[in-house]
Amino acid sequence: MEKHSRHQFRSNTLPALGTVGPVGIVLLGLVAVPLIYVGVMSFCSLDQYGNYIYQFTFDNYKNLLNPSYIQIYVQSLLIALATTIICIVLGYPFAYLIARTESKRKNLLYMLVIIPFWTNSLIRIYGWRTFLGDTGWLNSLLRGFGIIDAPIEFMYTRGATILGMVYCLFPFMILPLYSAIEKLDKNLLEASADLGAKGRKTLLNITIPLTKGGIFSGSIMVFIPCLGYFFVSDILGGGNSDVIGNLIQRQFQKANNWPLGAAISIILILITLVLVKAYQKAGGDMDSLGV
Amino acid sequence: MKKLTAMIMAMAMTLSLFALLTGCGSDPSTEGTSGTAAQGGSINAYIWTEYVPESVIKAFETETGIKVNASFYSSNEELYAKLQSESSDAYDIILPSDYMIEKLVSQDMLAALDFSKLENFKNIGESYKNPEFDPGNVYSVPYLGGVAGIAVNTAKVTKEVKSYADLFDPAFANSIVALDDSRAVIGLTARSLGYSMNTADAAELDAIAAKLLTLKSNIKLYDSDSPKSALISGECSLGFAWSAEIALAMDENADIEIVFPTEGAYLFLDNWAIPKGSAKQDLALQFINYMLKAETMVDVLAEFPYVNPNEAALALLDESYTGNHAKNIPAEVFAKGEYIKNLDTATQAKYEEIWTNLKK
Repeated sequence: MEKHSRHQFRSNTLPALGTVGPVGIVLLGLVAVPLIYVGVMSFCSLDQYGNYIYQFTFDNYKNLLNPSYIQIYVQSLLIALATTIICIVLGYPFAYLIARTESKRKNLLYMLVIIPFWTNSLIRIYGWRTFLGDTGWLNSLLRGFGIIDAPIEFMYTRGATILGMVYCLFPFMILPLYSAIEKLDKNLLEASADLGAKGRKTLLNITIPLTKGGIFSGSIMVFIPCLGYFFVSDILGGGNSDVIGNLIQRQFQKANNWPLGAAISIILILITLVLVKAYQKAGGDMDSLGV
Repeated sequence: MKKLTAMIMAMAMTLSLFALLTGCGSDPSTEGTSGTAAQGGSINAYIWTEYVPESVIKAFETETGIKVNASFYSSNEELYAKLQSESSDAYDIILPSDYMIEKLVSQDMLAALDFSKLENFKNIGESYKNPEFDPGNVYSVPYLGGVAGIAVNTAKVTKEVKSYADLFDPAFANSIVALDDSRAVIGLTARSLGYSMNTADAAELDAIAAKLLTLKSNIKLYDSDSPKSALISGECSLGFAWSAEIALAMDENADIEIVFPTEGAYLFLDNWAIPKGSAKQDLALQFINYMLKAETMVDVLAEFPYVNPNEAALALLDESYTGNHAKNIPAEVFAKGEYIKNLDTATQAKYEEIWTNLKK
């Protein structure tokens, strides 16, 4: 009996522990424990100095329903939605182009999407500020050519925030779209043409439906970070178009109200879970989220 | 291909995360300011960004052989959070503002300073000694201060601007760069109505909330890090910013002028202090004493032209500092202004609500 169970431990449990163990520890330490910590903190109270104390309260969640916060959630969701739509509209033709190009140039196009990522995104966002400001390059150029008299105010608007989000998150849309279009069976397109369908009809009835997995996963990859990228709305939006990320950052770094910050983070996590669930329900493949 | 895509995305996401985290400070033990051999030991300093010149810290290291591991914060709340979460001996030197000194003292987090080792404290002007937030300077000595002043681009603004209240004029739609700081902006509104910046009165706070919404359309952007940029480029013709930022903007753009509000300005004073848990108080005192030297302050002010409480240094400074009232702010401005104070939790929550309502 004793021998048997030891044998079983060696042949079944040990290899499993050896392979899953390290990953398990990493997941436990870097995902589960911090999440539980955030969850616990979201029910904590503040003492008279503003420090959090382990005293149970629902107040943080009640505070989430503050009308000003709700307006920021709505604004944040609208910014994310606009960003996602723009990314699809611009990204789809581009991804299509990459997927259908000869292999040599394909790598080049692919690298064009990736290379900007090697520069810190904050620096690239500041670049936009220099480019679009009232005395920036674009306005100077337009004025130099006499196209406009007064500078166009691009900066510090919701539009500027959306532009920055699109710019930061564009590759996350391109890459899943690309792999979906790449996998598309060319025979189907030929069959469609043979049966008399024109380009547009093939696109709407064959290409897009068959690559909708890519569109979905791209949308998730764009939409979710959009809710949190507070530095984009800070720098390009001038603090005038806050997203949920700004609210969270503010509680931790300025207002010193960690429990409220934790509660807002939990809401953000819930939104993410709901979206991913919806994606799964719609037949999305979890693998193409890159997770 | 899918694997590659996933990997690249994971890398990209990690990189963008790093971009954020590196901005949030790092381990003091790894972030040295120089490679000086630590003969005289080392101290960990946690100080404001853009406030203590690196050259000054290097000079201290060369003179004393004490190595300074400096790390940086950009708000008092960040400092406070770090002091709460790190072990009590993590830092030997900190540089909190007025109200934060009071908060740290009230929680017994600061060490009483041994003034027998701070002979240069005599350099500090009498009017900066014995402040309200630390009576008798038991725990802190002043470093630099300033006010939240008004910057006016005289080439673009024809109306006269004399007070915080003038900033609410509808003629200034979409033209102000304001500090991204709830206490400063709410304080400005309170002063414009004749209230204290620290009011806890419900009726006054309601009036402030309503008045503040009329400022919203005048504010073009919120920027605490570098409000001077928008002023220098001319993007904003008015500014509500720290005096030193305005002074630097004035150096770059001759059209910009500083105005001290007639209602009395928001004041701040940053102070050296030693956390109670520090095991190297002697070395920390050496550092503070060095920072109190007149010659040190001359070097500091060349780079960061804030208000200088060091009277001995004033004698050594030239016209470019003493003659510039944005840098060498007149004493009556300081006499008339107000420091912010700590609020109780309920009032603090109200201030936050007013602020979120402005920013939504």
